[in-house]
Amino acid sequence: MKLRSGPRSIVAGAMVVAVLASACGASTKPSASSDTPATSTAPGSSGAATGPKVEVTFWQHQFEDYQQAWFKKEVAAFNAAHPAIEVKYTVVPADAWDAKIKAAQAAGKAPDILTTNYGGIKPGIVNGQFAKLDGLIKPEAFADIADNVKGFVSAKDGGYYAYPMLVEPSTVLYYRKDLFTAAGLDPAKPPTTWDELISDARALTKGGVYGMNIAQTAPDLGWSSWGLQYNAAGHLPIADDWSAPKATDPAYKKLLQLYQTLYTQKLMPPEATFPYADVSFYGQGKVAMTAGGSWEIGQLSADFKQTLANTAVAAFPSVDGDATKPTATLGGWTLTVDAKSKVQQQAADFVSWLLAGDPAIMTDFFKTAGYSKYSPRASVAAALAADPDASSNPYLAIVSKDVLPFAKAEPAYPFDVSLAFSTAIEKAMKGSDIDAALGEADKAIADVIAKQKLAGTAP
Amino acid sequence: MSGTHGGAASAGVMPVTAVRRRRLGSHLRDNRTAYLMIAPMVILLSVFVIYPLGYALYLSTFEISFYKDPVFVGPQFYWYVLDSPRFWNAISVGLRLAVMVVPVILALAFLIASLIKTLGRRLAGFLKTTIYLPTVVSGVVASVVFTFMYRSDGGLVNGFLGAVGIGPFTYLSNPAIALPAIAVPAIWLGIGVSTLIMLAGMLDIPETYYEAAELEGAGFLAQIRYVTIPLLKNVLLFLFVTGFILAVQQVDLPLVMTGGGPVDATMTPNLFIFTQFKDPTPYATSFSLTVALILFFVLGLISMLIFRLVRSDKAVDG
Repeated sequence: MKLRSGPRSIVAGAMVVAVLASACGASTKPSASSDTPATSTAPGSSGAATGPKVEVTFWQHQFEDYQQAWFKKEVAAFNAAHPAIEVKYTVVPADAWDAKIKAAQAAGKAPDILTTNYGGIKPGIVNGQFAKLDGLIKPEAFADIADNVKGFVSAKDGGYYAYPMLVEPSTVLYYRKDLFTAAGLDPAKPPTTWDELISDARALTKGGVYGMNIAQTAPDLGWSSWGLQYNAAGHLPIADDWSAPKATDPAYKKLLQLYQTLYTQKLMPPEATFPYADVSFYGQGKVAMTAGGSWEIGQLSADFKQTLANTAVAAFPSVDGDATKPTATLGGWTLTVDAKSKVQQQAADFVSWLLAGDPAIMTDFFKTAGYSKYSPRASVAAALAADPDASSNPYLAIVSKDVLPFAKAEPAYPFDVSLAFSTAIEKAMKGSDIDAALGEADKAIADVIAKQKLAGTAP
Repeated sequence: MSGTHGGAASAGVMPVTAVRRRRLGSHLRDNRTAYLMIAPMVILLSVFVIYPLGYALYLSTFEISFYKDPVFVGPQFYWYVLDSPRFWNAISVGLRLAVMVVPVILALAFLIASLIKTLGRRLAGFLKTTIYLPTVVSGVVASVVFTFMYRSDGGLVNGFLGAVGIGPFTYLSNPAIALPAIAVPAIWLGIGVSTLIMLAGMLDIPETYYEAAELEGAGFLAQIRYVTIPLLKNVLLFLFVTGFILAVQQVDLPLVMTGGGPVDATMTPNLFIFTQFKDPTPYATSFSLTVALILFFVLGLISMLIFRLVRSDKAVDG
């Protein structure tokens, strides 16, 4: 109801990832790259049609099935349109991704193009892992990126080392309207505080269905709880300049209590049969509410249509009900070109063609994704705003209005820090004392800071 | 001595120096043959073990980046590893897994091999094939199967226990029982080879020993104690050492079944190295390399200790 009456412009503005709290000028900027294909100005792609083909390797982290199909289709289209370049496309399973990339880098055989998440960009820049794209992709393409995303993909010197593809908030709340009604709860009033979340979960836990589902293993909690860490304490468990741990901030106790209560009171599944990024628990009807990334709308609409029909989406509850506090981080994926690639120009040509070229290409992607992801490009967002399907999508509007504006960027520190804190959450879930768990996390983070010489290196 | 006999060579009596020279010659020839025969192994070991090990030791003194020049840090990473509670936890998990797995495999393999030995040819053949079957199952497949069996919702194990009113248990999410839950498939996978090797050892023991023992009035248990076990000592030692090292190095099962969790309860040393290596930072690369080297020495030390404690003898056969 609320969504239908909302003006299309609200959705359009939000889709630009205009999103974070500050007003973003990106939506007003015209897209220079939308008129002419980026490759037309790229030296690597010009006039080589009759010469031998230049091979460019592209490794994609495995995502939802429809994404693989989309990438495959677009790579074929690029290869057909560029006789001088042959992009070799490889999908790498998610659980083998890190090890395979690192082994390839060690062997000096890293792919020319790589999907890289926002959290990996800053450490990669420090490590000299990515080619600077400024000289390889025309400047107009960078001007088209939303202002608040520019910082995610650039270095301190302002140089760009990645081109963003999408952003997606890490945590929203999905809930079953029919089960809310059956439990005597108002489906129009999702929980807004953590206490309400627990009491609703308790009311919904019956008949073999758990009230709630949330991450429960340290590796999943490591990244999926960033937004809630901000929510609880207003900061992450490390000082802004990475010089000292801050895991013993008493504000975190509430966060660990939330997880501990849900787990120990059996309000959520006792085993992580599915990882956090997979909505199958909810899709199969085993839980009444679930925390999950916005991308799970795509999975629900592809695999669990029946569940989706009874699904409503809301911002994840806040510790104290303040809806302006962050509950999610803005994750997402970019394409980067390897610093050691011998065909950097051709690799950048592909990145530019796919992500920064004709907005119709990426518009098609977001449509295929069921509008579960958000464009970091003004021109693409404008094109989506004009699409009646997008502007009438109820989930898109809620996430755009209630989640994205308050979401935070992903931290750039080594994952060891996140893992130290998430191990404390998991320990609390498995019955450990919360103060002791936070104390151990604090010590572990101090250890990471000292050994990895993090103090003062925050980007 | 030889000087006194220097010119005393006479027909039929070979001078001592000549004998020595001849012995020396044949000794040298023998040595040459021996060196030639071990040369392929020495060369292969040098190329594939000694040089990489030396190079790894050299590299472990650097913080390695695949994109920047390595930074020399000396033995810093050894200190970092030895100072890491997660490293010691991983060693402890590996040792505890070995303690759960190896004695059970040895005991069960001994019992099954003893049983097979007493059976007729056809039935023994059938049993040998059956007991060996799990060995040809991939560790990953076994992990997936056992993960399903352990599930708290609809898992086979909880189904059986539920029928008698016990459980359900969350085997792979409970830090207290996750490691024993992984030990079960490890035993299932390892029992086939151990049984066959043990059976081969048992069949090698001359039947006359048992006949003599029987004449002396030894019962079944006494025969096992005084004949079978002493004569199987080397086989048992081999199975113990290899089983122990394999168990400590276990990686497939925890990787697939628990990912090392919950809260590192199943983080075996090799899985720890793997998870460290995956991390994209140069720190993690050097750290995982150093853990691997230290683990190499730890396992070598454990093997040496076992050999010391259980003195291996040459086979005593009839």
